Amino acid sequence: MSDVPQLLDREAEEEYEIESTEGGLWTGSRLFVGAVTMAWSAVAFAYFYLRAIDRSGQWDPHHLTPPPVIGTLIALCVLLGAFMLEYGRHQLRRGLHFEWLTAAWLTALFGAIAGGFQIWQLTRLPFYPGEYGYTSVFIGFAPLNVAMILGGAYWAETIAARSIRLRAEVGPDMHLGESEHAAARHLRASLAGCNFYWWFMVLASLLFWILFYVVD
Amino acid sequence: MTATTMELGAGTTGYRPTATRLAHPWFSLNVITAFLGAAAGYGIGHWIGNYIASNYAVVQSTGQNNVAVVLALFFGVLGFIVGIGGLNYPILKMFGYQPEERAPVEDWTKYFRFSTDHKVVGKQYLVGVIGMFFIGGLFAMAIRTELTNPTTHFFAPDIYLQIVSEHGTIMMMMATSLVVGPLGNFLIPLMIGSRRMAFPRLEAISFWIFLCGLMVILTALPLGGFDTGWTGYAPLQTEAAPGMDAYLVGFGTIGTGMILNGFNQIVTIVNYRAPGMRWSRLPIFVWSMLATSFLLTLATPVLFVAGWFGVLDRTAQTAFYVNTHGGSSYLWENLFWFFGHPEVYIMAIPGFGLVGEMLPVFTRKPLFAYRVGAAGMFGVALLSFFVWQHHLFVSGINPDMRPVFMLTTELISIPTGFIYLIGMGTLWRAKIRFTVPMMFCLAMYFNFLIGGITGVYNSDVPVDVTIHGSFFVMAHFHYTIMGGLLFAFFGAVYYYTPLLTGKMLNNTLAKIHFWWMFIAFNFTFFPLFIVGFLGMPRRVFEYAPRLQVLNDWASASAYMLGMSFLVFAVNFVWSVWVDPKPAPANPWQSLGLEWQLPAYKMPWYNFERLPIILSDPYHYGEREALPVAHLQGVLALAGAGAGGGLAPVGAVGPDPGPEISPPRGEAEREDPRPE
Repeated sequence: MSDVPQLLDREAEEEYEIESTEGGLWTGSRLFVGAVTMAWSAVAFAYFYLRAIDRSGQWDPHHLTPPPVIGTLIALCVLLGAFMLEYGRHQLRRGLHFEWLTAAWLTALFGAIAGGFQIWQLTRLPFYPGEYGYTSVFIGFAPLNVAMILGGAYWAETIAARSIRLRAEVGPDMHLGESEHAAARHLRASLAGCNFYWWFMVLASLLFWILFYVVD
Repeated sequence: MTATTMELGAGTTGYRPTATRLAHPWFSLNVITAFLGAAAGYGIGHWIGNYIASNYAVVQSTGQNNVAVVLALFFGVLGFIVGIGGLNYPILKMFGYQPEERAPVEDWTKYFRFSTDHKVVGKQYLVGVIGMFFIGGLFAMAIRTELTNPTTHFFAPDIYLQIVSEHGTIMMMMATSLVVGPLGNFLIPLMIGSRRMAFPRLEAISFWIFLCGLMVILTALPLGGFDTGWTGYAPLQTEAAPGMDAYLVGFGTIGTGMILNGFNQIVTIVNYRAPGMRWSRLPIFVWSMLATSFLLTLATPVLFVAGWFGVLDRTAQTAFYVNTHGGSSYLWENLFWFFGHPEVYIMAIPGFGLVGEMLPVFTRKPLFAYRVGAAGMFGVALLSFFVWQHHLFVSGINPDMRPVFMLTTELISIPTGFIYLIGMGTLWRAKIRFTVPMMFCLAMYFNFLIGGITGVYNSDVPVDVTIHGSFFVMAHFHYTIMGGLLFAFFGAVYYYTPLLTGKMLNNTLAKIHFWWMFIAFNFTFFPLFIVGFLGMPRRVFEYAPRLQVLNDWASASAYMLGMSFLVFAVNFVWSVWVDPKPAPANPWQSLGLEWQLPAYKMPWYNFERLPIILSDPYHYGEREALPVAHLQGVLALAGAGAGGGLAPVGAVGPDPGPEISPPRGEAEREDPRPE
């Protein structure tokens, strides 16, 4: 059996496992965005389909919109959340733990505020849900938007919480942005995925902001 | 009760099995607490729904509070998931705790708990889908009973429609998970040399969500059922009884489980392959799971959103599918079939993956045109997103668009043909071993040929316009799904039972089951092509008296078909529990990696050391071929002897056969590390 290739040594095997998990987080976050894209595409399809057929002129005869200021604030909060997470990632790489944590919590906060605004907006609508095609699509969109944004806030919060606990477990001197510790590497991979998701949500928010508030 | 705990990513040590003591299973979360949670959730949801909507005008005028029903079902599912322990980790994660893999307790109670062992989840799924299949099958028997006489009825017309709808919905949902759930979860890590699935908790929760979805769909019956068929078309959907809420919530629930399952399998296959497991060495079954999982992950969210719109129409009074308020019932048809047609391939591709895995074993030949087969699966998956409008040929599509979708539908027969022909190429001039799994494989090809050719025939607009909504179409898809997928599945159950349980199923009973099922299946569904061609529409319980003979023939055959599954059930229970016969190690002499290890007694983390993959598993009859993997030292098993021992390198079991030769020299090897 001397010509049989040897198994990886323990150290290489551990490295292999860690890379698998990092890769899994990378693939998973991209795939998650793909699945969410398909869900948003279904909403967008409903928007364009009902708008295009405009059955009996009932798509949006009176050009009603939900309160645009609240809608704009929601989109802005999502944008700020994405910026904060990007900034936080940068600070994490530089080893500035406090700045990173502040940015991550702010991302979660902006997400919570955006979700709160979206719920509040649903109580301030100048139309009934089934009044027109447009109003139906908006009512369909809004709760999904709450779920997607709060999901992003939850993800950012869990990463921030994990980084605090990790430093408590390993030691306050741990440089999460550079450490080769497996948990630190997984945390960075998760953060990269979360960051990607938030920027995707910025794009989605922008698209639907245009559709619901700008396009006549 | 001592078990092991494995810490993931704790420090730089990677996997570290350590001892820990778990609470007695019945004092921790399990299926009993899950049902208690479901009951509590149902009550709470119903109360909230009544609180919100009891004074709505529509509720007071109709006495039907859909808000209460939807919230009750939603909170019921949520309560079940909380009760089984599915939300423990997501909550702990908010406080910064890391994943902790905990070994299932080593007794039968592990099957009733939230297990993160992919082998346990696979078995849970297996029992779940077979149970679902038997329930759906009982509805089929009821349908055929009603159709034994054209004018004398066993059921009222609305009850008949509810039975048809329940049968269709349960069977479609069952079939989407039939292979991906049990065999995908059980086999993928073993086939790619991984210790686990990428997201074990997602894997576990996907099963329990799947189970919840089944229960939700069954609650439709006491809620008045739904009479739309499994397609749930509006405007019937908007106007139906509260049972429709169960359909929508049930579809959404099972859909969520399907997305999670597909998502997890993609990430696992892409990232958790063992060193040396290149794409070109991936078993064809894993390729089929990858293609199917992409469909599950990308098509199912559209169904979810379509169902969400339906729920809003029925509760929040939106008008997505209401023509008079700016909505359109065609919107449902488009969204539903954008998912619904890929779903057909979610059901078909795994069947081909399974037979592709079994054929080389029983022909002792390499899989013919392996790469073409893998490419064909992805070709089918891709094209399946561009054919959905053929379901709308007679229901509102712009006539100018018909040829486009006729063309795309016919195009999909090309990659499907590739997949079919790799089977034919493998069979060509082979010395076939006519084992029971092989007989199921051959039957699958026979049935699918009929189903496939009638599918191409259906795709032509003039034909479709003529036979749309008839028993002809019904017979066509039963030939593709039941004749294709189900035969492949049963073949795989006979094939993999030694791996799953360490027991061999009784061969005589298995052969009786096969012939009985094969003959009864064809006797049931072939006459229905004729019945459909003669103009009998589906979902209608009265029909022309001249069609009674054919219908009676089909009904009698359907009873026989139903009874054939009892033979399987008796065989399984008898051979696995009553009079178990230990299976020899690798009884089929497969070269597959999964067969080199006794999976039924492997630890929950599968491998003590990662295997090194040396070749693909299809080098049958090639004397210079490498063994599939370097396995020595990979697994340490207590008591692994006959029926469970590790095969040495270069061997495939107790009887490696003359075609397996010792490995070549080091200089001839490929780099075992991944590309």
